[in-house]
Amino acid sequence: MDERYEELAALNALRMLEGEEQRALDGACVSDKELRTLIAELEEATAELALLVPPAEPSAGLKKHLRAQIRSKGGTAAFGISRGAILGIAGWALAAGLAVSSIWLWNERSKFIERHDSALKAIAAAIPATDPTEEKKETLSLEDELKSIRAAYEKKQAALNTEIESLRQRETEANNRITQLTAETEALKKQDAEAQFQIASLQSEVWEYRRSEMEVVWDGRRGQGVIMLDKMPRAESGKDYQLWIVDPSQPDPVSAGVITLDDKGSVKTVFKPVVPVGETARFALSVEKKGGVPKKEGQIVFISP
Amino acid sequence: MSQPELNDEELLQRAGRRDPRAFEQLYDRLAPRLYGLLRQMLHDEREAEDVLQDSFVQLWDRAPGFDPARSKAFTWSVMIVRHKAIDRMRMLGRRNRLVESAALERSVLDADSAVAADAGQETAERAQSVLAALRELPKDQRQLIECAFLKGLTHHVIAEALNLPLGTVKTNIRRGLLRLRDLLKGGD
Repeated sequence: MDERYEELAALNALRMLEGEEQRALDGACVSDKELRTLIAELEEATAELALLVPPAEPSAGLKKHLRAQIRSKGGTAAFGISRGAILGIAGWALAAGLAVSSIWLWNERSKFIERHDSALKAIAAAIPATDPTEEKKETLSLEDELKSIRAAYEKKQAALNTEIESLRQRETEANNRITQLTAETEALKKQDAEAQFQIASLQSEVWEYRRSEMEVVWDGRRGQGVIMLDKMPRAESGKDYQLWIVDPSQPDPVSAGVITLDDKGSVKTVFKPVVPVGETARFALSVEKKGGVPKKEGQIVFISP
Repeated sequence: MSQPELNDEELLQRAGRRDPRAFEQLYDRLAPRLYGLLRQMLHDEREAEDVLQDSFVQLWDRAPGFDPARSKAFTWSVMIVRHKAIDRMRMLGRRNRLVESAALERSVLDADSAVAADAGQETAERAQSVLAALRELPKDQRQLIECAFLKGLTHHVIAEALNLPLGTVKTNIRRGLLRLRDLLKGGD
């Protein structure tokens, strides 16, 4: 054999040929059986080299992808519908055709039977013999696959149900919290609406207290208030300032306690009358005996208008 | 008789008659070896798996035309896989790229790990025979065949990378493969 073709056949076995060289070899082997044999032998020798490559396991998913791809390419019939079913359908179709044809072509019955026989033979030749064992294995394989898919689906569904349940629980908790916050907000709004603050800024008519300041914030609903005094002269020895609440419904002013000043003559403190008073009130500050008295006795230095 | 007793050729013929079970058995039998080859050729596991999948789809498509009298199933599969791998290399622009001579010289087929990893006695014996035959070749012929087989490069690229005349590369590959064929057929 021509060395050139031997060379091309060798390079072809290693898939090294391109373009013109490949076309030259393809053209030559059409009419050269010896060359075709050489090509086959060199390909076989080359392929054997793959036995010297360490094998490696492809990922498990690859087989599934391959199976799916083959099905999508039209292998569905092989995977999905058994040959028995195909034969059954073909048989029914043939029987129906026979019945109709026998009415229409009764006079040509003998000819039809001949055609029918030949058609059956053709179908039998076209459809390969079915091995029941193979079919059973195929069915079992598909059943296993279906079970596996169903198990995976059910597992996923269970996980989703758990997640949905958890989300529902969180939603319920969130709704409860919203309800609670809404109620609290409403209560606060109600309190605000109900709150009746009275603010009084008092001036003294007494000369010594002309520069002093007194302010009272009174929450009539809660029955308590805050008093702020500033620039107050010190009370005389053995004396204290005492706060009074003048309630029109009470015969006498109601004591709201002794007020103690700091070193700078200031104070800011919460006060509460000793007995409940009406929501609308006036305030007065007097100088009383040390420790205070139950009923006003001393000089009033501040009184609200 | 159960299917595992069928040889590669019988399985491929059954696959040609659209028997998916037989095809899956053939995949189980051949895929590790072909995947190992693709990993060496492409140096990328993902590309290798991709090409392996394409190759088996082509095997399924072409199985009805398989003739055991003309070729072994293993030869047929290796040829399809290498062809696909070379197409992928061409697409990736690797095939005609000049490579370092050192990289080519590292392309060595060594049956030790391949044989040890293979459980089949018959395959192990075949691999030992191939290795023995390959070792019979002169070093320059063996080296060229090994790097051409594993790298999928053209003879032009190999000649340039190894700084050899193109004619020398072609001649050595021709002589080496013819000798390998003879040795594997039992000649001396």
